[in-house]
Amino acid sequence: MHRLLFFSAAAGSLLPPPPPMAALAISSCGRRALLVDDNVINRMVVRKLMEEQGIALEEAENGKEAVELVKEGRVFDLILMDREMPIMDGPQATKQLRSLGVTTPIVALSADAMQSDKDSFLQAGADDFVEKPLNIDKFALVLTKYGLQDGQADQ
Amino acid sequence: MTPTEELNSLMNWMFSEGLLDQQFQQLQMLQDASNPDFVSEVITLFCKDSEIILAELTKLLRDQPVVDFQKVDAYVHQLKGSSSSVGANNVKLACIHFRQFYEENNKEGCFSSLNAMEREYFRLKDKLGTMLQLEQRIQAYESSKHN
Repeated sequence: MHRLLFFSAAAGSLLPPPPPMAALAISSCGRRALLVDDNVINRMVVRKLMEEQGIALEEAENGKEAVELVKEGRVFDLILMDREMPIMDGPQATKQLRSLGVTTPIVALSADAMQSDKDSFLQAGADDFVEKPLNIDKFALVLTKYGLQDGQADQ
Repeated sequence: MTPTEELNSLMNWMFSEGLLDQQFQQLQMLQDASNPDFVSEVITLFCKDSEIILAELTKLLRDQPVVDFQKVDAYVHQLKGSSSSVGANNVKLACIHFRQFYEENNKEGCFSSLNAMEREYFRLKDKLGTMLQLEQRIQAYESSKHN
């Protein structure tokens, strides 16, 4: 049986405005992540995945915003970086972050990227490549691999 | 058929026809008591976003003497990403199909592909609307049982 959706009575009406770009969720373990993706719906889904894990999330709409956040002194335990974005794409942003001395794991996200695209992203300094869409299982694997799974952070 | 049976039948049909895929089930799994409207919020935003994109694509392909294929590709890329994230499988596939015409700078091909994308999107939107109505009927019934 498919799980009931329980649409709200307000479904179909205008949504409240999305949270500000630098919104932080309350984290129980001090884990912080940065999501860099120009797609508002992708960000909504990943935001929920992060909330479920109690990870504080900041969001950037493109690579340039991500680099600026880091230059402002923000520190993250994980960066999820989309590939194709306006203004500055994922590989460019990754290269710049690495040149700034950022050693945070950067996980590249993309849908149906060619091998050459994946290679160039990894050569730019990304640690890993995950195919979109991000789902619960893929997300759990990423968190486990980089030590952000609930409980791992305390070890 | 009870509303619950109707809803299950509709959902099974939507999955078997490719309107929805596993990613939609992922969204359902993320919905919980702390955020009971998560799926409806995502879908509502997806619909709003998609219709804006489809309108912009129509303008770019129909109203401009020279097609800006880069802008067209950017919009299709957005729609492909969104549809993939919500599990709108056929819409996503229509976007992928569209890109081959963009790569050839084929305006006519892009236009017919846009029509296909619109058909898939509105077909999905219609069924999601039915799903909503059934959900509301079930909710109303459940509430009346408890009162």
